[in-house]
Amino acid sequence: MTRGLGGVGPAVALFGFAAIVPLFVRDAFFLDGLILILLWGAAASAWNVAGGYAGQISLGHSMFFGLGAYSAALLGTKWNVSPWIALVVGAALATTVGFVIGFLSNRLRGPYFGLATIAFSQVFLIAGSRWRGFTSGSEGIAVPFRPGFWTLGFVDKRAWAYLMLVLAIGLYLIQLYLERSRRGYQLAAVREDEDAALSLGVPARRLKVAAIAVSAALASICGTLWAQYVGFVDPFYVFSVDLSVRFALAAVTGGIGTALGPFLGAALITVLETSLRARFGGIAAGLVGIYLIIYGVALILVMRFAPQGLVPWLASLRRRRPAPRATGTAGAAP
Amino acid sequence: MHAVPQLAVSTLLLGGIYALIAVGLTLIFGVMRVVNFAHGEFLMLAMYLAFWSFALLRLDPYVTLVLALPLVFGAGWVSYRLVMRPVIHASHSVQIFTTVGLSIALQNVALVLWTADAQFIRTSYYAVVVRLGGAAFNLAQLVAFGIAVLATAALFAFLRWSYTGKIMRATAQDRQAASLMGIDTGRVYSLTWAVGVTCVGVAGILLAPVYPVYPTVGLQFVLIAYVAVVLGGLGDMAGALIASLIVATVEVVGSYLIGTAWKEILYLLLFIGILVVRPAGLFGQRGAEALGA
Repeated sequence: MTRGLGGVGPAVALFGFAAIVPLFVRDAFFLDGLILILLWGAAASAWNVAGGYAGQISLGHSMFFGLGAYSAALLGTKWNVSPWIALVVGAALATTVGFVIGFLSNRLRGPYFGLATIAFSQVFLIAGSRWRGFTSGSEGIAVPFRPGFWTLGFVDKRAWAYLMLVLAIGLYLIQLYLERSRRGYQLAAVREDEDAALSLGVPARRLKVAAIAVSAALASICGTLWAQYVGFVDPFYVFSVDLSVRFALAAVTGGIGTALGPFLGAALITVLETSLRARFGGIAAGLVGIYLIIYGVALILVMRFAPQGLVPWLASLRRRRPAPRATGTAGAAP
Repeated sequence: MHAVPQLAVSTLLLGGIYALIAVGLTLIFGVMRVVNFAHGEFLMLAMYLAFWSFALLRLDPYVTLVLALPLVFGAGWVSYRLVMRPVIHASHSVQIFTTVGLSIALQNVALVLWTADAQFIRTSYYAVVVRLGGAAFNLAQLVAFGIAVLATAALFAFLRWSYTGKIMRATAQDRQAASLMGIDTGRVYSLTWAVGVTCVGVAGILLAPVYPVYPTVGLQFVLIAYVAVVLGGLGDMAGALIASLIVATVEVVGSYLIGTAWKEILYLLLFIGILVVRPAGLFGQRGAEALGA
C-alpha cells in the first residue's frame, strides 16, 4: 500500500487542475459539473473510510448525508442558525448514529452488514418523509438563501468550487492518512482477517466502530454543504438507497480503499450524467436514465475485469506488471 | 375484535406472496452464498411483462404466467451466465456490487423504456370482492395467494425429492464436498439462480393484477423479502416461509393499529432487532453471520 510520495502525483495534478479551472472558466454549467464532481467525490471518500479501509460495506450511507442536509435545512429555517453550526450539529448527530449502528452491527460481516445499513437508512427515510410536524414530510424543505460567508450563501459558483475543493482535499488527506498510518494498517488488518488481527492485539471492534462513526460524520458534512449548494432537501432523495449506492459505486469503480479512487469514480459518473442531461434535456428527459444503465453495466464489467477498481488497475498498467492481488477483493470465501 | 378475521385473512394473503419472493432469495443465498440485490428488479420486470402482455396482446395475467414461465427461467439462466458466473468465486464485496450493478442497469432500462409512471392492469375482475366469514378480500389476491402457495410447495417438493433438488441441497451444505462427489457445481449455480429468479418472476406476475407497476416497485417488496429471509435465517427455506408470515403479520396488524403511514417502520425495527440480537435468524445456526459465508 505504501507508494511513497510518488503516489500523490495524480492527486496533485487533479486538485491543481480543479483549482486553476475556476480562474479561467466562468461558464455556470461547467463550474456546476466541477462542484458536483468534488462534492460526490468527497461523499464517496467518506463512504470509503468505512467501506474501503475498514471493509464495512455500507449501503445506507445516505442516512448520514441526509442528517447533514436536514440539519442545515431545519436549523436554518426554524431557528435561523448558521450552516456552519448546522454542519457541526449534523456531524455530531451522524457520529452518534454511526456509533450506535457500528456498535449494534459489530458482529455482522459481508452482506449482513449491507442489509442492516439499508434497514437503518430506510428508518430515516420514513421518519423524514412522514414526520410532517418537524420535517415538513415528503414535501421537503427549501434551504433559505442568505448571502455571505457565515451563512454560506454564494451567488458566485467559483466560491462554491473552492469551498468544495477544500472539502475534497480534506477528505483526500484523511484517506491518505488511513493508507499510510499505523491506524490505517490496523484497519487494513481488520478488513483482511478480523480474527487474525484480534489475535495480534489489534482492537478490531473499536476500530470498526470508530471508522463508521468518522465516515458518518464526514458524509454528514458533505450533506450539509450539498443542501446549502442545491437549496432544497427532499427526503426521498437524501435518504434514498439510490444515493447510498451512488456513494459506494463511485468509490468501488474508482478503486475501493484508495484515496483517489472515489474522486475518479465520481468524475466518471458526473461527467456522464451532466453530458447526457445536456444532450437530452427537455422533451427527452427520460433518456437521462441512460447514464445509470451505462453505469450499472460498467460496474459489472469493472467487478469482472478489475475488481480492485480503476485506480489500482491503471497503476498496474503503468507499471506493466500484474496488479497486486487486491485486498479484500480476491480470494473466495469457501 | 370483529377485525380479527379480516386481519388474519389479509396476513395470510400477503404472507403467501412475500414467501414466494423470499424463498427465491434465500434459495440463491443458501446454495451460492450471494445476496441478490437485483432480486426486486426481476420482480419489477415480471410485473411489466404481465402489464405489457395485457396492454398490447390482451393476455390475461394468469395466461401470461403459464406462457412466461420458460421465458423467466431463461432470463434467469442467461443473467447468471452473463453476469454472475464470472464472479461466483470472488469476494463478498465484488458479488454485492455486481448484483447492485445489475439492479441499477435493469431499473433504469425500465425507467428509460417505460417512464416512471405507475401502470395498472384493469382486468374485468379487478374489483371483484370475495366475502368469507367476517373478512372481505380481492379475488386476484386470493388467486395470487393460491398460486404462490402451490409454487412454493412445488419448489419444496422439488428440493426434497428430486435428484436435482438433492444435488442442490448437497451443494448448499458443502460446495467443496459436493464438487468432490462429482457434482458440477457450476451447473447447480446456474440452475439455482434461474429457479430463484423464476420464483420471484411468478410472484411479480401474480402481483401485477393487484399492485401498480413502476421501475422502482421492486425495492418495496424486496426490502420485505430481506427482512423475512434474515428473520428465517439466510439460506433457510422453511425459515423464510414462516418468517414471511411473521413479517406479514407485523405489517397488517401494525397498519391496523398505528396506521399505514408508519407501518414500514415496524418491520424495519423488527429487522434491525433480529440483526442485532440473533443475526443467524430464528432457526439458523448461531454464528453463521460471523462466518459471513
